[in-house]
Amino acid sequence: MKSPLIKRIPRELKGEIGKYLVIFIFMAATIGFISGFLVADDSMITAYNESFEKYNIENGNFILEDKATDDFVKAVEDEGVTIYENYYQEFDTDNNSDGEYESTLRIYKVRKDVDKICLMKGNMPGNDDEIVIDRMYADNNKLKVGDIIKVKDTEYTISGLVAFSDYSALFSDNTDMMFDAVKFSVAAVTDDEFDRITTDNMRYNYSWKYDKEPTDDKEEKTRAEELVKVMAANGILKSYIPGYQNQAINFTGDDMGSDRSMMITLLYILIAIMAFIFAVTTTNTITKESSIIGTLRATGYTRSELTRHYTVLPVIVTLVAALVGNIMGYTWFKDVCASMYYGSYSLPTYKTLWNTDAFVLTTVIPVIIMIFINAVIVTHKLKISPLKFLRHDLSRNKNKKATRLPDIKFIRRFRIRIILQNMSGYITLLIGIIFANLLLLFGLFMKPLINEYGDEVIDNMICRYQYVLKAPVDTQIDGAERYLMTSLKTTVEKSKADEVSVYGIQDDSDYLNADFPSDGVYASEGYLDKYELSVGDVITLKEKYSDKTYDFKIKGTYKYPAGLAIFMNDDEYRKVFDKDSEYYTGYFSDEELTDIDSNYIYTKITEDDLTKTTRQLKVSMGGMVELVEIFAIIMFIILVYLLTKIIIEKNSLSISMVKILGYTNGEIGRLYVMATTIVVILWILVSIPVLTLIIKEIYRYMMADMGGWIMLKIRPDIYITMFIMSVASYGVIAALQMRKISKIPLDEALKNVE
Amino acid sequence: MLLEINNLHKSYGNGVNRVEILKGISFDVKKGEFVVLLGPSGSGKSTLLNIIGGIDTPDEGYISIDGHKTGDMKDKALTAYRRDHLGYIFQMYNLIPNLTVKENIEVGAYLSKNPLELDELIDTLGLTEHKNKLPNQLSGGQQQRTAIGRAIIKNPDVLLCDEPTGALDYNTSKEILKLIEDVNQKYGNTVIMVTHNDAIKNMSDRVIKLKDGSIRKNYINDNKISAAELEW
Repeated sequence: MKSPLIKRIPRELKGEIGKYLVIFIFMAATIGFISGFLVADDSMITAYNESFEKYNIENGNFILEDKATDDFVKAVEDEGVTIYENYYQEFDTDNNSDGEYESTLRIYKVRKDVDKICLMKGNMPGNDDEIVIDRMYADNNKLKVGDIIKVKDTEYTISGLVAFSDYSALFSDNTDMMFDAVKFSVAAVTDDEFDRITTDNMRYNYSWKYDKEPTDDKEEKTRAEELVKVMAANGILKSYIPGYQNQAINFTGDDMGSDRSMMITLLYILIAIMAFIFAVTTTNTITKESSIIGTLRATGYTRSELTRHYTVLPVIVTLVAALVGNIMGYTWFKDVCASMYYGSYSLPTYKTLWNTDAFVLTTVIPVIIMIFINAVIVTHKLKISPLKFLRHDLSRNKNKKATRLPDIKFIRRFRIRIILQNMSGYITLLIGIIFANLLLLFGLFMKPLINEYGDEVIDNMICRYQYVLKAPVDTQIDGAERYLMTSLKTTVEKSKADEVSVYGIQDDSDYLNADFPSDGVYASEGYLDKYELSVGDVITLKEKYSDKTYDFKIKGTYKYPAGLAIFMNDDEYRKVFDKDSEYYTGYFSDEELTDIDSNYIYTKITEDDLTKTTRQLKVSMGGMVELVEIFAIIMFIILVYLLTKIIIEKNSLSISMVKILGYTNGEIGRLYVMATTIVVILWILVSIPVLTLIIKEIYRYMMADMGGWIMLKIRPDIYITMFIMSVASYGVIAALQMRKISKIPLDEALKNVE
Repeated sequence: MLLEINNLHKSYGNGVNRVEILKGISFDVKKGEFVVLLGPSGSGKSTLLNIIGGIDTPDEGYISIDGHKTGDMKDKALTAYRRDHLGYIFQMYNLIPNLTVKENIEVGAYLSKNPLELDELIDTLGLTEHKNKLPNQLSGGQQQRTAIGRAIIKNPDVLLCDEPTGALDYNTSKEILKLIEDVNQKYGNTVIMVTHNDAIKNMSDRVIKLKDGSIRKNYINDNKISAAELEW
């Protein structure tokens, strides 16, 4: 025979439909979003991984000073590779016909063999006045098929929006901290048109594919290192990027999977909080039904039968929420999440894949968490003897006496009693508030942090024009100051190697305001912060393409937020890197160095280059920030609502009783609602230092893979905004609770408990 | 012999607050016997009933049912003991508010391998027309009938009644007592009823009078009358 108690389940659901519905919607939406995210993530990663073969993505590329000679091609191809011509030219572009050239387009021919292009919308260029551009750049600049853009002097009609398979992240320069899909795009025109616009600015770029793919990373690296030697011996190499080092290809793949564990953790914390809410409501029901439980236990019902009875509803709600959530995940949220990816990366089209893993993670595990937490808490609660249940004596501690309170006003003592009585609920509330405010704070601080970082980068720019030269060349322009620079890599185990700029600065520099030491280095503040270093530590850096390492003792810090850098005296630099006294790598200058031939300039760093990171981060975050804020507030309201509801329900008899005695609803509110108000405000305040600690850790983890570093700073006014938003959300709930109090009938206390 | 109660001692509290509730209670109950435990408030009768019912434990002494001592039983065995042998009726009916009359009785039936026939019992209890009502739609007497139904549907060896008429008026009380009497006669269950109502002793086979935790009298009622004839 089935337990007749089962029949209570639908009735209980109906009786508390509001509560169950709120939790159901919240869980279904959360699970839906996470499931959608996992499905989109997995489908996208698969599409990305498959794109290497599907679009025949290169194993690497290099740029030569001039066209490759037959001898060069032969020498290189003898190493077991095939070389493909992949020339490009860069042009300033006006994309909104305002006469200002705000972007740079890197124009290729339409590729046919290697790094093929995925057409997302429209057509590939059929005529010479047609161009295809990157889909994400088009989105960021509100360009669509049919629009006209002006590239240098030529007007083109956009015939299609595309994803270049070798530019899933639009890095214009492989050493950039962040890609730039706002002011930089790749584009393709017809072969004839490409030849027509050929200028001196042509980049003789070649891609290569191994005839036989290396079997592992080690082999790939060895082969790439061999290849570069052959290339350097046979031609003038201007750039050399093996595929595994190409950020434009790899950044997306590295970044895509990285949010997964955080999302899953987020889901489990939310489910655990919901499980605690269920458990608190159930223990409240157990208290209310103690005589029934006593009777059932006295009659022979086992504790496990009752535990099952009291946990079945939360489990059913979770299971249904998980199933509904998964359906929404596969249909609607998947597209939302995919569009988030498309908002950050130039990914090709994808196909939705069934994801067993995602189903288990978002269905089976939440149900297990729900069962576990509820079973533990309910079993513990039901451990009391049947007799005690019959006597409504549910306190575990036999000798527990009423907590002595100081001789303060009755109303205050009353409130303290309410707080003490509901401590378990309030502790759950504290966890919930910390979690909701964690999300809220993330939503609030990210944008200002990035804006401030952008401002700081500009305020602390070394100079307006920083030139990196291919070879030393003189300038007659006043104020230009020579410097030395190279890039080394960090050698910290278990973390992705970062590129660190090593500067040699002359004494009494006009551009850097410090006396750099000759027996150590000054490190940029971001470097110290990212690697948790301090003055006095010794760092080890290695050369990019060899295993040679250098040790530097940190003697001080220098404010240079644009990237990870160390600074030393130029003489020391020459000694360390074994350079002669005439050697230098570039100029700092506040004026443009017009007298230097552009062929000598490797790159010119301006404000625009340094603000790429902030620009792209802002675009990538897009509407996410607001979404997180809204989610956090909804979660806050739901949590506080459910827990305060329990507190009022638990005390409905007493509330009815004091009503009979003549208390007004306002007075009762000042007792019961005010107690919760005090706790909520206290918890919000308590959460601030806790949140700061948690955010520091999460931020470090979240940003660890990013090249460079943005130092975490949360302005005090952000905490104030968070406080105000939390308190305002609570205000809504307090009003609801007041309404609930006014609805408790006078005769509640007089009624038979049955 | 169905039940053997031997030298039960029970006290609550510590030190100066220590109160001895039972001071060496011993008696036997035969199968099918209707026993009334009579005594004023604080005499220890409810505590005694709870110990018999396996929901409280004695400090000393033991209960033996069919030769099995409850004192030797662990929590799980005690639950099984209650499940297999006992039915409970309380002064407050302790019905489940969101289950109907029929379903509340089924709560008892669920525990038994051979429960009584449900509809027949509902009929015996006079609840046929109320069987689909919720407890809050019933009078006190009807609620207590439902509670009796829940207790006896599993046809327990022993029916423990703790002031079953304590919350009821005279006429309803008599109806309930009649019902318990009928059940005792029809199904042959042993009934142990705790009451402070002196008149009820007249319907029992055996009367045990308690005072201050001790048995003052334990005798066979030779002048047993039916519940319908009771007056108080």
